[in-house]
Parts: sequence; structure tokens; C-alpha cells
Amino acid sequence: MTSVVTLKDVNFAYRDTPVLSDVSFSVMPKQFVAIIGPNGGGKTTLLKLIMGLLQPNSGTIEVFGSSPQQCLTEIAYVPQALRFDRQFPISVLELVLSGRLSHLKWYGRFHEEDKTIALEALRTVGLQDLSDRAFGNLSGGQAQRALIARALASKPKILLLDEPTAHVDSQAEADIYALLQQLRQEMTIMMVTHDLRAAIEQVDQVLCVQGRVTPLKPQEVCEHFAVGLYHLPLIDLSGKDKQ
Amino acid sequence: MTEFITALWTNPILLLALVAGLAASVVSGIIGSYVVVKRIVFISGSLSHAILGGIGLALWLERSQGIAWISPLYGALGAGILSALLIGWIHLNYRQREDSVISALWSLGMAVGVLFISQTPGYNVELANFLIGNILWVSPDDLMLLFGLDVVILATVLCLHKRFLVICFDEDQAYLQGVPVHQLYLLLLVLIAVTIVLLFQVVGIILVMTMLTIPPAIANLFTTSLSRLMIFAVLLNALFCFIGMAAAFHFDWPGGASIALIAGVTYVITTILKR
Repeated sequence: MTSVVTLKDVNFAYRDTPVLSDVSFSVMPKQFVAIIGPNGGGKTTLLKLIMGLLQPNSGTIEVFGSSPQQCLTEIAYVPQALRFDRQFPISVLELVLSGRLSHLKWYGRFHEEDKTIALEALRTVGLQDLSDRAFGNLSGGQAQRALIARALASKPKILLLDEPTAHVDSQAEADIYALLQQLRQEMTIMMVTHDLRAAIEQVDQVLCVQGRVTPLKPQEVCEHFAVGLYHLPLIDLSGKDKQ
Repeated sequence: MTEFITALWTNPILLLALVAGLAASVVSGIIGSYVVVKRIVFISGSLSHAILGGIGLALWLERSQGIAWISPLYGALGAGILSALLIGWIHLNYRQREDSVISALWSLGMAVGVLFISQTPGYNVELANFLIGNILWVSPDDLMLLFGLDVVILATVLCLHKRFLVICFDEDQAYLQGVPVHQLYLLLLVLIAVTIVLLFQVVGIILVMTMLTIPPAIANLFTTSLSRLMIFAVLLNALFCFIGMAAAFHFDWPGGASIALIAGVTYVITTILKR
């Protein structure tokens, strides 16, 4: 089976500050991957590299065997809802329709089909009754689900999420995980998370990011959690290198 | 007020001025909405002041060098588009000190304008007209150009509004959907520059930001849809223009300052009342 995302010897630095070094891993179709690691370890940078928003200083990144730029519309990204301006005048439906932007006609009208797909995506995340609501008036959990609906509207093969359960209450968190469990049947999911329990219980593979990227099985994370995962270094990379 | 309306019928210069003001209201309400929601008010401020460089150069070429076909409006248009592209390039490639570089362009444009005007003998008095505006000064030729630009901007926005909306809200999403984000960002800045050129005739360079940002900022207090915000901003702009000009006519005040005063006071009052 060919991999969906492949990174080989990737190095990335913001100016002179190295963020990621010697990153190599691959993700198989329909895998559910958790990306964990300390703040500033390079988790979001890793997602941006996969989307082609950032270019590596060296090494290769392939998505479906070609460069990320060549298969942009196969990728959908769910950023943190907190990042957005709450006063921005955009309705939930307009937000979700922005997942269909690549299908917009040159004169700026959507097909009826695009609207149907957007409404369907809203139904999937349970926000069909809030399509006319302003995005800024949604609760944290609803806003996060609206962003997932936007991602689904583009019918992606790879779904990237940046801490979808940060800053939401426990019910919203459970809803989002239930949704992701449903979606993993259909697409590859890569999710940055601080939620270690989710990383252990929900996913197929864990990428531990702290300047380097260490692919782990979920049960291995459990072991490291026992010895104190949030102490730096997160796991003993030097030991791993010697092996 | 009735006095003002009677004067409009009898005085074609006044009517021409009002028509120019209303034409400028339409585009400034629409383009100003993008400026406000994308929070690029500072960039627009820099653009509006940098056009003085082009105005000064055009005036000098026309009056001192005898190149008769050049008018200050062409100079403003050229300088506006050039500054928009320059600022866009700075934004895309030099983010670390973006605001400082943009403020340097702001002063540089004004300095060039003031120097050229100072070298144009006998026309120093016009500097005040450019800075604070003199709507009574619009010629029928200018008005035709203003209408032409109006139509171009409206047609562009009609086709690109949904893309601009996403670029203003979330550039990454626009990028993932294959939208040429950088090119459209540059185009948006050029549209802002052209709008500013339409506006400076009405309220002057210093007060352009009033018509560009205050009506959308007021509208944003009342609506949550960008298209409704635009319509609301256009209506407010037209209203401020009309009342401002009537007040200017009645009290013999400068037109630009009257419009700016009414817009500014309305913004302060609505902001306080909405709290």
C-alpha cells in the first residue's frame, strides 16, 4: 500500500532557529494519526509543511506521490477556532461554502450542488440549524465543528486538525471525537493534540514532535506517559539514536 | 436644508459636486468594508497619503514643464497603484518590520508631493485643496473618470467578492482551495488605492480615511454579513455626504471637514450607545 503523506530527511528553520530536523515518516491511507509534543516543538509547523504553506530547507515532502502544491484540494485544514476574529461578519453557511471555493465559477457564483454539499457537511457536524448564525456568535465547540464542516465540504482525502478539542467543554470534546471516529472510515486524519488520553485511545499512530519527529505506536506513548511525558525531553531521543 | 436642495437645482457646480460625492460613497462603502474587516486600516492610511507624491509630480509636470495632458488625478492614480503594489510586496516579503516600512512610505509620498508642489510656482495654495479636499472643484471630465473607475471597481468586486471574503477571513483556507491569494491581495490593495483616488477629490487626502473606514465600522456594529455590511456602509456614506455638504453650504464650512465631522460624531455616538 502506498503512503498518503511521506516526509524524507526534512529540515526546517525559521530564519536561524531550527524547528524541525531530520524528519522522516509516512502515513498510510485512512490512518488516524495524533501529533503530540511540547509547545514550540514544531507541531503546527509540521502541518504547514504538509500543506505546502511552508517550504522545507532540505528534504522532500510528498502528498499522494507529488508535491503538496499539486494536490492542495485533497487536503483540508481545521485551525483552532480561537485564532479567528469574532467580529468578522461571516455566517456559518458562508464559512462552510468557503470549503467549495475551488468550484466557484469565475463570475463568483456557487452551483446549487455546492450549497447542497455545504448543508450536508453542516448536518454531519450537527449544525444544520445554525447555518444563518454569525460565526462569531457560536460557542467554542460549535465554532470548531463549523470549521470541521468547512473542511468536509471540500471532500478531502486528508484532514489536518490543530488541537480541535482545546478550549471546548467536555461534551463538545466528546462530540468532536465521535465525529472523528466516524470520519476515519473515509479519510486520513492527522490531529495535533495535547490530549494524551485521546492520543492513546483513539488513534493508530502517534507522532511525537520535539524538534525531531518520533513515530510511536499508541501503546508506547502510554509507557512514556507513565514516566512523565511533559518533562523535557519528551522521550529519550538519544537512547533511540543509539539503538 | 430646503435652501440647499433649491441651490442644487440652480447651481450645476453644486449638483456636480454632490453627484461626485455619491459616486465616491458607493465604492468607498464597498471597498472600505474589506479594509475594516481585514484590519488593513493602517495600510490604507499610508496609501492615501502616499498619493500626494503623484499629485505633486503631475502638477509640476503640467504647470512647470508644460505637459498639458497630465492632470493631478492621473498622478494620484499612478502613485496610488504603484504604492499599493509596493506595500503588497512589503507585506508578502518583509513582515518583520512591515508597519515601520509602510509608515516610511506614508511620509516619503507626502514629502515628494510637498517638494514638487513647492517647485511649482504660484500654486502652493492648491496644497490645501489636495489635503483637505474641495469637492466644488470637480470638473465634468473628472466626473466621467470617477464614474468609469466606479464601474470597474463594482464589476471586479461582483466577480471576486466570495474570494475576497475568504482571503480576508482566512488566507490559508483560500490557499488550500487553489485561490491565487497573493495576486488577489495585491489586486485588493490596488482597488483600495483607486478608491482613495476617487475619495480624495471629495474630502481630501487627510480625511479620506473617514469615508473609507467609519461607515463600515458603524455598520459592523449592526450586522453579521459582509454583503449587508457593504450596503449599509454605502447608505451611511451617501447620507454623511449629503448632510455634510448641506451643512457646508449652510454654514459656509469646508465640505470635506463637514462630512468627516458628521461621520466621526455618528461613529462615536453609535459606539457609546451600543455598549
